[in-house]
Amino acid sequence: MKTTNRQHLAQLALQNTSLLLFIVVFVVFGLLAPRFFALQTFETILKQASYIGIVAIGMTFVILTAGIDLSVGSNMYVSATVAGLVMQELKAPVWLGLLVCLSVGMLFGGVNAFLITRVKIIPFIATLGTMVAGKGIGLLFSRSIQIPYPDSVLELGSSRLFGLIPLPIVIFLGVALAAQLVLTMTPIGRQIYAVGNDAEAAKKAGLSVGRVLTSVYIVSGLMAALGGFVSVAQQGVVHPGFGEGYEFNAIAAAVLGGASLFGGVGSVLPGTLLGAVLIQMIQTGLIFTKVDIYIQPLITAAIIFSAVLLDAFRNIQLQKLRRRNIRIDKGALVGAGDD
Amino acid sequence: MKRLVTVLAIVTALGLLLAACAAPVAAPSAAPAAADQSAATTGDQKTICFAYQDLETEFWVAGHKAIVETLNELGVNVIERNANEDANKQLEQVKDCIAQGVDGIIIIPQDGESAVTIVGEANKAGIPIGVFNRPPANDSNPTLVIVANNEVITQQATDYMAEEAKKLGRKVTPLIMVGDLGDPNAVGRRQGFYNTIEANPDLFNEVIEVPTKWDGATALANLEAAMQANPEVDFLFTSSDFMYPQIRSVLEPLGKWKKIGEEGHVILGGLDGDSRACQLMRDGYVDATGVQDLFYEADTIMQAMLDAIAAGETTPEKWMDDPGFALTQANWEEKAMDMWGCKLFAESGESLERTFTAQ
Repeated sequence: MKTTNRQHLAQLALQNTSLLLFIVVFVVFGLLAPRFFALQTFETILKQASYIGIVAIGMTFVILTAGIDLSVGSNMYVSATVAGLVMQELKAPVWLGLLVCLSVGMLFGGVNAFLITRVKIIPFIATLGTMVAGKGIGLLFSRSIQIPYPDSVLELGSSRLFGLIPLPIVIFLGVALAAQLVLTMTPIGRQIYAVGNDAEAAKKAGLSVGRVLTSVYIVSGLMAALGGFVSVAQQGVVHPGFGEGYEFNAIAAAVLGGASLFGGVGSVLPGTLLGAVLIQMIQTGLIFTKVDIYIQPLITAAIIFSAVLLDAFRNIQLQKLRRRNIRIDKGALVGAGDD
Repeated sequence: MKRLVTVLAIVTALGLLLAACAAPVAAPSAAPAAADQSAATTGDQKTICFAYQDLETEFWVAGHKAIVETLNELGVNVIERNANEDANKQLEQVKDCIAQGVDGIIIIPQDGESAVTIVGEANKAGIPIGVFNRPPANDSNPTLVIVANNEVITQQATDYMAEEAKKLGRKVTPLIMVGDLGDPNAVGRRQGFYNTIEANPDLFNEVIEVPTKWDGATALANLEAAMQANPEVDFLFTSSDFMYPQIRSVLEPLGKWKKIGEEGHVILGGLDGDSRACQLMRDGYVDATGVQDLFYEADTIMQAMLDAIAAGETTPEKWMDDPGFALTQANWEEKAMDMWGCKLFAESGESLERTFTAQ
């Protein structure tokens, strides 16, 4: 009986390594810098994690199908630049700017989907190509000049829902909730997992793999554009370097949240959300504890690497525990009788 | 097939829409194609090849303009080449210039390593070459180099900020927004800041360092965290002027985005000397900014190049420092128009008349 309980406890802990790591990091930084425990600090972490979290949610959709989208950073730059130009040059209202931004993002995702599903280029190469092309297009549009957004966008970025919760956090949580519902409660969500687990089997079962892949890359494009807009709404300008390297943060957030790069495994809630917040929490914690800026990247890398190692260890241990459960069927029955 | 055609049609249509969006943007004042003149050297007129990596920031746009204007004023024929941030392409462009028999070459290289290779090619061909503002990684190949002394320029700005801090009659808490630590410019600026800190041990509390990686979003996130952890910060230096929008986004909600003389003003300074810094100084938010003297740099390297050509030198070697200067609220009247950002700002029709009154 005790063994069974211990096994369940171990299984529970292993299933929630991301959450445990999150708590450990939070407590350690809090003990080192007491101000870190303030509610306002947590709010700042969530707010600053929001844009990369939104991009990571789109990335999770792609990773669940065993794909990758390296172009999200360039997508953020192009869509934010085009939206900025529309608002600046055509004096378009904010809602139209946002609409244009999201449309460009979806178009970008559509191009990726076309290259992957129709031209049959593997996702890594296809999105690497659009990453380079996207950056070039963005620079062509902006002529390498910063694109300022209207003050009304900046006001929107710093506004609060009911005067309480910063809007970027509301958008982030709303998108995460919607994405989780899509993945767990809709046919397309189940199809995404099915394609990620075994694309060939999914095809034989009658699923349109091409349609599923097209959907996820368009979702990724849409999320990249939305994330870009949320970020620029907090900064006020689109800088020519905007979006560079953000794809790695988005991938890291998804993987830290438990998504497998081999596809078929992962979740947005709590998975990717925790991953994105964890990355931002580490960065904020290092600032709070005044760690030498030359050491900071090493500590960040060490924590992320530990999380991935823990994840690998978790998978191995969970497999072992499940195997034992099969073998101890009789024992379990005896235990059940004792109860 | 029908669906494929439909998808292609949609993609093309949206592509055209995007292109239409880009159309209103003004092209840089000196578009490479327009400025590309005949390579033929007529009579005593010299021809110089100007190969630059790209014009990805306002600084490089202004640098490009300063060089082209200087060359034109000197009656030099210019061949312009834009490498679009591709070091290999720039090498090929320089080889092309060599084949055309130019008298000299000026490059803004993509990075220090590629600069060494390109300089080597020019050396082999016996054509004098100069490197503008981004030095070669090593001195294995002789060249003319003009580069800003980031440490000295920063210190000039932060020394002025320290003098302003002394007027408060108390210790201040300094914060520096550090650039990419892999960039020698960022390292030099950080060192200049620390020179001022170390020279005034009784004035400053412990320094707060905020890494930015030259990225706006990272700068915003880390500065917000730093201000939350250290709300007492009242002395802030940014290693690049492009981060002022992020600084404003963080300071404004905290009630610290105040003009000089107003209660809660954070002593503020930066480096680059762009048009935004000019505007913020005019409006009284920024106390000082370190300026890379682009006009001095352009004049100096051009003169060195023309001297080398006149003397028949094929591999001239000279390292020239741009000491820059600090534009401060104290020397605004005399120096504002020496700053390249203020020149651009004034050219856009803005007034340099200060809009605040220090109390």
